[in-house]
Amino acid sequence: MAIIEEPLALESGQADIAERPLGVMTRPQGGNGWRDWLSSVDHKKIGIMYGVAAMFFFVVGGIEALLLRTQLAFPEQGFLSPQLYNELFTMHGVTMVFLFIMPLAAAFANYLIPLQIGARDVAFPRLNALSFWIWISGAIFLNSSWLVGGGGADCGWFCYSPNSGITFSPTHGVDFYAIGLLIAGIASLISAINLIVTVLNMRAPGMTLFRMPVLTWMLLVTQFLLAFALPVITVALFLLIFDRVFDSQFFDPEAGADPLLWQHLFWIFGHPEVYIIILPSFGMISEIIPTFSRKPLFGYSFMVFSGIAIGFMGWGVWAHHMFVSGIGPISVLAFSLSTMFIAVPTGVKILNWLATMWGGKLWFTTPMLFAVGSVAMFTIGGLSGVTHAIAPADTQQTDTYYIVAHFHYVIFGGGVLGMMGGAYFWWPKIFGYMLNETRGKIHFWMMLIGFNLTFGPMHVLGLQGMSRRIDTYSEGFGFEFWNLISTIGSYIIALSVAYFIYNTLRSRKEARDLPPPGPDPWDARSLEWMLPSPTPEHNFDEVPIIESQDEWWHRKYGYDEDHNVIRIATIEEAAQKGDAVGVHLPSPSFWPLVLALGLPLIGYGIIFNLWLCVLGGLLSGGAIYAWALEPVDDPDADHGPHDDHGHDADHSDDDDDGDAVAVGADDSAGDA
Amino acid sequence: MEIDRYERWFMIATFTFIIGAALALMISVVGHHASLAESAGTINPEDVRTTAPFDAPGLHPSTDPDHDYDLVIIAQTWSWTPEEMVVPVGANVRILATSVDVVHGLKLKDTNANVMVIPGQISEVRDVHFDEAGTYWLFCHEYCGIQHHNMAARVIAE
Repeated sequence: MAIIEEPLALESGQADIAERPLGVMTRPQGGNGWRDWLSSVDHKKIGIMYGVAAMFFFVVGGIEALLLRTQLAFPEQGFLSPQLYNELFTMHGVTMVFLFIMPLAAAFANYLIPLQIGARDVAFPRLNALSFWIWISGAIFLNSSWLVGGGGADCGWFCYSPNSGITFSPTHGVDFYAIGLLIAGIASLISAINLIVTVLNMRAPGMTLFRMPVLTWMLLVTQFLLAFALPVITVALFLLIFDRVFDSQFFDPEAGADPLLWQHLFWIFGHPEVYIIILPSFGMISEIIPTFSRKPLFGYSFMVFSGIAIGFMGWGVWAHHMFVSGIGPISVLAFSLSTMFIAVPTGVKILNWLATMWGGKLWFTTPMLFAVGSVAMFTIGGLSGVTHAIAPADTQQTDTYYIVAHFHYVIFGGGVLGMMGGAYFWWPKIFGYMLNETRGKIHFWMMLIGFNLTFGPMHVLGLQGMSRRIDTYSEGFGFEFWNLISTIGSYIIALSVAYFIYNTLRSRKEARDLPPPGPDPWDARSLEWMLPSPTPEHNFDEVPIIESQDEWWHRKYGYDEDHNVIRIATIEEAAQKGDAVGVHLPSPSFWPLVLALGLPLIGYGIIFNLWLCVLGGLLSGGAIYAWALEPVDDPDADHGPHDDHGHDADHSDDDDDGDAVAVGADDSAGDA
Repeated sequence: MEIDRYERWFMIATFTFIIGAALALMISVVGHHASLAESAGTINPEDVRTTAPFDAPGLHPSTDPDHDYDLVIIAQTWSWTPEEMVVPVGANVRILATSVDVVHGLKLKDTNANVMVIPGQISEVRDVHFDEAGTYWLFCHEYCGIQHHNMAARVIAE
């Protein structure tokens, strides 16, 4: 059912008749101020909102971490009560994983995937808005337990049963944890499906899968991981909620349940989750290092295939979190080997980044520093990971600070530093001004030093035998010195984050007196850099025809007869002007927001009073109907010459996807 | 396919290392059990204190021919039973542990014993040795609630 046909030849005057297929709902037309953001279905605005919200929760989770480190700075401190400490370390983990890193990756995915594949928007723009609003309502719901739930969850982010049961955790914290993550999980699932469809169906003509930038590839693998991992945690959380609220006995050992069930369910989700966190960062590093080495990425197809291999193998390693759970030597052996083997594709990536830099003309800008720093820190984390893969060694390390050190090197060192590099790299594209380089470098060094001071000593503490998740420790075990260093380091990280925020604000102010960065300040390689900065609302004036990998670079550079690289076009000549008018874009809609608002009400209802569920259900259900009944476009909206959607009545049966902007070869994708 | 000489050596070295590590691991786990924790059966957490061997926690001559002694330990929030145990130096000890409530972790500092103690399951650690006389601290390593950090017991080797 291709919707792109010849534009209908309208008889004169006919176009003025505003046909409202279903009469009731109108669509907002975008326009002014905050309402524009609330109703926006533009992947760029949604990406920015994801990013800003993620940074907010980074600060929240960071403050939680600072409180924890302050408590641990000296032995036998009473700064936090044991209960509050437990709630804080739980919420720190949950916030950083689900409310910071995942949405930050989603921010980049939303903003960059359509640009990198030459599309006007994602496949399902309203679903995209829905996933953001559901995520943020889940995030607020989760954190509202501090105010109305009698404190945060106190079961750890892993929430092992039966400690998470109502007997051992009688406050509402765990309920908020379970329902909050269920809500946020819906958002990730929607977003995953949306982005998978976008990448598979919305690529510009000529953009074959193996011409896609590695970032888009890694984000695609991430979305597949999300689509398969989230159902598992959803099942586990449902069982938990049933146990807690409706007195079922899935995890009650006295009724014959096996607590290992939760551990398996959680880690089958939890280990792919690690790759969900790290792969987007790998993708960004794979864009940044070639750009600043002035060389194409070494071993493109190896990079892609090792990313895919990580995606598959990530499903076969979960029980390495359970080596001491008594799962038996044969299981331990199998998971030990698979864990060792997953280091191979990861090592391929690291070596390929090094080979990309080898012999390159290195340009150490802030994004490059972050990317290289991230590779180095991830390598440290990866090596300590191999020490856990050896099961007999792991029995010495389980639940010590050595593990805390390891996963912070992987997630913070590999994930956050890489994404910080991504933020500096794409900042001019997103906001139209450069971040100050000097301040950026200061930020990098502060963060790197603070990070190593915080998490480096934890290796030592762990090998000395300091347990995780203890709210204080006694004198005389030799833990004092390194704990103090670690706390000092955490304050340096906090300062560096504050400095980053200052840098964004200050650079914005200074940018008024500086020349604009232009479309391509870094002389980069992928398609998004052929657009003006900031990206115009319609992305591409004309959808580009793709002829090679690194298409944008090949539009700027060619080869002379001796195979030397020569410039064949200036950036200004090759870039698009962003001045197309009347490009048909998906119309905004308020219904995703309304639908999302119903879900936390249902959540509060399950916890406090089931009548609230009725209210939330009516709100969400009503929004679904309104969504379905709203026309594909507002008939009153202005359509210019680029309007290539036939605007006739048989269109009204298109669901959401009718307002996909179908571009390029697969233009029927939008209304499948 | 043309592979550079150094690259070929690098590949050979890498694969040798990986396969060697995998073999070493297989031999240590299958051949020598590598002190890996195992589940030695199930138990009803409500009846722990009346079921043998947990009806008499502490040190007993082993029922297993490979070991000299069984050290029987019960975990509950937030303490161990018994809180103080005496073992002979150098004996080959098997630890049997279970929990009556939530998941705990049994970590015996300066030994190779580290096992999760799961309600409903008997956790077994084989071949534990206390080679030097002195006090060995037994900590809970798995987060179990507000007094988790205070959940400790002592094993005295003499």
